[in-house]
Amino acid sequence: MITVDIYKVLQAANGNIMLNIQLDIAKGQLVTLYGPSGSGKTSTLRMLAGLMPVDKGHISVQNQRWLCTKENINRSPQQRSIGYVFQEYALFPNMTVRGNLEFALEKRQNTDIIDELIAIVELEELQHRKPNTLSGGQQQRVALARALVRKPKILLLDEPLSALDIKMRSKLQDYIIKVHRQYELTTILVSHDIGEIMKMSDKIYCLEDGKIVKQGNPIDIFTNTRVSGKFQFTGEVIAIKKEDIVYVITVLMDQNIVKVIAQESEIIGLVIGDKVVVASKAFNPMLLKVEV
Amino acid sequence: MNIFSGHISDIQVNESLSLVSIKINEQAILQVIVVETPQTAPYLIKKNPIQVLFKETEVIITKEDIPDISIENKIKGTVNTIEKGILLSTLSMDSEIGTIVAILSTEALQKLNLEKGSVVIAMIKINEIMLAE
Repeated sequence: MITVDIYKVLQAANGNIMLNIQLDIAKGQLVTLYGPSGSGKTSTLRMLAGLMPVDKGHISVQNQRWLCTKENINRSPQQRSIGYVFQEYALFPNMTVRGNLEFALEKRQNTDIIDELIAIVELEELQHRKPNTLSGGQQQRVALARALVRKPKILLLDEPLSALDIKMRSKLQDYIIKVHRQYELTTILVSHDIGEIMKMSDKIYCLEDGKIVKQGNPIDIFTNTRVSGKFQFTGEVIAIKKEDIVYVITVLMDQNIVKVIAQESEIIGLVIGDKVVVASKAFNPMLLKVEV
Repeated sequence: MNIFSGHISDIQVNESLSLVSIKINEQAILQVIVVETPQTAPYLIKKNPIQVLFKETEVIITKEDIPDISIENKIKGTVNTIEKGILLSTLSMDSEIGTIVAILSTEALQKLNLEKGSVVIAMIKINEIMLAE
């Protein structure tokens, strides 16, 4: 369990904002911080990592106190067992992929973890290459692996995928979910992508002006009506076409394209690019075994 | 989407499924099956207000009541408007719960010889209706 209760006055473009964030995150959860720029998401991650001073408050992780301003406890970033991945890959250009990972090792740490991580994020073929010869997605995989070298308890991801194209993003999301589960991490993600949040998070915190204004599971937060349908996915409308007396709506869900028949009344106000929930009852879909 | 508001009048639970009766008004009760129970869905409480939702394509239209049929929900009404397409047509009917819209094949529409004012019964299976708070 991670318990956070922090206060900090942040200087923003139009005056100061008072950041006051409380989080209770169970071990093994993947949670998202969501909100407009300047709402305090990155500052929250930086304070958790010990990279930004906190004015007042406490942070405890699995009953260990990392910060308590009252009692003058403040662990350094190195003592906090955190892996951090940013939007920029921040890899050392003069080192190979493997070199970048090895550089993150602690003194006397067993080096087996390097091969293990290289295998997990499938970098075997690329391990002797320099970062500038890799694609953005490949570099971000290196950054993800590097963040895990010291086997952190907490993984902080600050919009790690926003610079990548949609296909690469989806693949990276799968890698993140994989390492999150395999290493039993508690992961805090900053993301603006609703599809990504729906796919990855157990819980979402919505921030505005340094405060949590809403929290809950992503489907409840992003949909106005909660329907009982057990078959619910979010996607993006990519085409709306009137055919005969109905509309055929094409929705991109993750990497899959689905088509939904709708009535005119259902699509009022709907435009291409809108996020939608596609809902059906658990009774309708058919299962067909895939022969491999 | 056909959407109607009502109140939960009865809930029968068996393992993870519930058969929920929703009273739309004095004349009409709709039955719905959901993969929820009062434990998993806090809105499943008797007398709670609830919305029922079903697609136009899931509405079956008949001119005469068929007593021996495995469809639980039957609502009587009269045809109001018909929009004829090539393969599919839209029919809206005034019923005891309000306007119900159905999409059916143009062939079926012609076979049933439906026109404005025809008396019809809309039928919807319990597994085609969704609930929303």
